[in-house]
Amino acid sequence: MTESGFRSAADLPEGVSGHLANLILALADNKRLLGIRYSDWILGAPSVEAGIACSAMAQDEWGHARILYAMLRDFGHDPSVLEHERASDEYHSSELLDRDVASWEEFLALNFLWDTALSVQFEMLVESRYEPIHYKVRKLLEEERFHFDHGQGWTSRLLSAEGGRAALAEAFGAAWNACLRGFGPDDDPLSGTLAAHGIVRRDAAGARARWLERVGPVAAETGLARDAGSEWVSTREPVWEDRWLLRRRAVEGGPDDDSLARVRGDRNRELLMD
Amino acid sequence: MIRNGRVYEVFARKKRADRFEHVGAVSAPNEQLARVYAWQTYDEAKWFEMTVAPRDAFAAVNRPQAPFTLGGSGGRASADSR
Repeated sequence: MTESGFRSAADLPEGVSGHLANLILALADNKRLLGIRYSDWILGAPSVEAGIACSAMAQDEWGHARILYAMLRDFGHDPSVLEHERASDEYHSSELLDRDVASWEEFLALNFLWDTALSVQFEMLVESRYEPIHYKVRKLLEEERFHFDHGQGWTSRLLSAEGGRAALAEAFGAAWNACLRGFGPDDDPLSGTLAAHGIVRRDAAGARARWLERVGPVAAETGLARDAGSEWVSTREPVWEDRWLLRRRAVEGGPDDDSLARVRGDRNRELLMD
Repeated sequence: MIRNGRVYEVFARKKRADRFEHVGAVSAPNEQLARVYAWQTYDEAKWFEMTVAPRDAFAAVNRPQAPFTLGGSGGRASADSR
């Protein structure tokens, strides 16, 4: 039996709409913040070409965020308020993006590990019963293919460079736990409910497994993942320091002052137009 | 120190019926990054197809100099190695 789709948020079953809006907001916030982290390296990347790549990826992320915020209108939110009026602790972005990163290796952890984790969450929406998201997700994933290749291409470059492997292992190791738990706990009610209704293809555990399948072969080079035959598994269990928040993160707080000012466009606030 | 690696020549065409055009070059540590850099650097058109090849894979036919190093309008971007 083919399950019928939903043409708008208003058609979604009770309880599902809020969960989906929460997921879309989390993805939008992550992309907006990640765009800033990419833009930070336009002038500091190891080569002119890498700087151009950072610029292109920053533009992609901001474009994706813009589209996602606009989608939330269907759920009764005002995109302008979401983009410009929220406090730090109202952001649904990963703790990985709260502050800028200090090195190219840490940047690659965001580019390869976390950006891929976000793409996996979009993959889960490709055949969503929430139809308005289909075309947008497909287009976005086409662009993200190059982000993955950039992360993987640089990672393999560093793995073969003297001293590169150790620096990369340290940076990946520091980001690993936040990526693992970034999909939510196995019993995460949000992704569980969305999966049960066909809004996302797999629940938190399924999405995490898919992410490990994508990053595992590279992460194995730094000791973080291993091939368990039928699947790739993490060599570390996720650690939950705080409780998993409704804001799709495990750490209280949010982007630091500088990041928040940039993400909201505070400097040019008086120029904002309807 | 990370060296930039090899120079890759970039070719693209806008439509299936078009011939490939030499659009420029990028320096990259490996082929995977060359593909990314080419796509993101030469994004002035909605390309139907793009391809890259290492400059040193090209063999000179009628001149002793290495291909793509003579200047002039052999490619739109001067294919310098940085």
